Amino acid sequence: MPTYEYRGLILNIPEFDQEHAGYFEYARRHQLAVKRCLDCGLLRWEPGPSCPFCTSLRWEWTPVSGRGEIYSYQIVYHTVLPGFRDWVPYPIVLVELDEQRGVPTPGYGLRITANLVDEHFRPEREERVAIGARVEAVFMDLPNGLTLPQFTLSGEPPRTPLWRHKE
Amino acid sequence: MAHPLRDKYCIVGVGETEYSQRSGRTTRAMAVEAVKKAMDDAGLTPQEVDGLLSYHMGDSTPSTAVASDLGIRPNFFMDVSGGGSSTEALIGLAMGAIEVGMCHTVAIYRSMNGYTQVRIGGTGARASTPVSGSELLTRPYGLMSPLQRFAFAFTRHMMEYGTTSEQLAMVKVVHSRHASANPKAFKKEPVTVEDVLNSRWIVKPVAHLLDCCLETDNATCIIVTSAERARHLRQRPIYIMAVQGRGSRTFPDNPWAEAPITRIGGHYIAPRIFQMAGVGPEDIDITGCYDAFTFTVVLQFEAYGFCKVGEGGYYVSSGIIQLGGKRPNNTSGGHLCEGYTHGMNMVIENVRQLRGQADDYCPGWREGRHTYQYGPGGCRQVRDPEIAMNMGWGTPGYGSALILRR
Repeated sequence: MPTYEYRGLILNIPEFDQEHAGYFEYARRHQLAVKRCLDCGLLRWEPGPSCPFCTSLRWEWTPVSGRGEIYSYQIVYHTVLPGFRDWVPYPIVLVELDEQRGVPTPGYGLRITANLVDEHFRPEREERVAIGARVEAVFMDLPNGLTLPQFTLSGEPPRTPLWRHKE
Repeated sequence: MAHPLRDKYCIVGVGETEYSQRSGRTTRAMAVEAVKKAMDDAGLTPQEVDGLLSYHMGDSTPSTAVASDLGIRPNFFMDVSGGGSSTEALIGLAMGAIEVGMCHTVAIYRSMNGYTQVRIGGTGARASTPVSGSELLTRPYGLMSPLQRFAFAFTRHMMEYGTTSEQLAMVKVVHSRHASANPKAFKKEPVTVEDVLNSRWIVKPVAHLLDCCLETDNATCIIVTSAERARHLRQRPIYIMAVQGRGSRTFPDNPWAEAPITRIGGHYIAPRIFQMAGVGPEDIDITGCYDAFTFTVVLQFEAYGFCKVGEGGYYVSSGIIQLGGKRPNNTSGGHLCEGYTHGMNMVIENVRQLRGQADDYCPGWREGRHTYQYGPGGCRQVRDPEIAMNMGWGTPGYGSALILRR
């Protein structure tokens, strides 16, 4: 059963975990994938075994552009995970993907969590983290064979005014 | 039209152990002490308690052990998985068990060495478990603690409504003043807004260290029985007007899927509980609002209609929630200052307030004689409260609520 170590964590991604195994298989090919319903056609995140909009059990993984914007963020100064202590302060971002925004309900979005990293896969500096900032998926290949999707600032102009916390 | 079960059940006994960070004993020993104290408070013998309910996160002692230790032979017992938002829900489950005739008197307890054994903050035991399932999408990104789970909604609230760190700090300031009149409180020292803002960041921009609740070792117990039985017991009965939960927002375990992500389970629970009770927010005299973080208080006051959505920051910093204010909140100091119990102590406090028996520094508190001089080492009894509300919360999506009257 595929087990990977990352920052002191033991990640278990068995093949039978069809909610998640495909996500990491696509990531290894440097593609960000979400689930698509084979009946109503809607994309969903998180990638559960049924469509929350039509209850269909038929699905496929489908690659998406990996582009989107920061919907919310947090800068972790105190981590409860010992393996992340050398990373603080590190940003965790909630990214809203460009695909299927506001569908099937006005509030729905494909919102994925990851770290915001720089070109060396180090935590992005907090003064560069802002709601509304455009991002793209990047893929962190670990020596053990696991690839972890992350996001980085894409440099595209923001579509809405940026917001960040004022000190 | 109020609900047919309104006022049919009562809380008749409450009890707790010391709130500490060094219990030096098992969750079993603490649970037994809390249940015994609640039975004594109610004037019940073990033979008169025939139901036990507990909740846990794999960190407690099952109710069968507690029953054996105290000589209780249960007709009904159950140990439910859950943390915050369980207290109110289990009070409802106890009412249901009694209503269908499974038992007649239920002791509900929560026992946890929340500092010396399993810390909720996630350091130690919880952090070292293997990662599988949906946690693969969060923990590899250094996202695990409850605060981190809540933080995206909190940051959005600051962006959408302009909620400030200073407003949040006022929750801690107020609760610390309340705790300063509570001999049981683990943290009794009043703090200032500056103290909160100068404490180190835990997760920016939503919480400094002093915006976060305590982690403590303690057990707590609440006993529920029918109003008919309650009239013959030791204490003034405290009537359960309404209870709801655990309920959830949309996509319970994926609370960011549907905006507004600042919308919490309480949004859906609020109309149900007020309809069941036959009262509205304006009728509530005191509140017990789950304060895992200063921000949880803000979002709950909005969800339950104590203020408009977006105005929670104003509500908590306006003086309304302090002793002497229009609607005091967490008069014991709550999770931020008294101790962390996953919701139990805020219900216990409201029961005592409605009895007129806040166990403050007034020499005559047992007889309900209070000075109403609020401040450190003084009184914390609210003047003549009639109706109290508790709002429970666990994870960004779930909630529960309870309305009590004297």
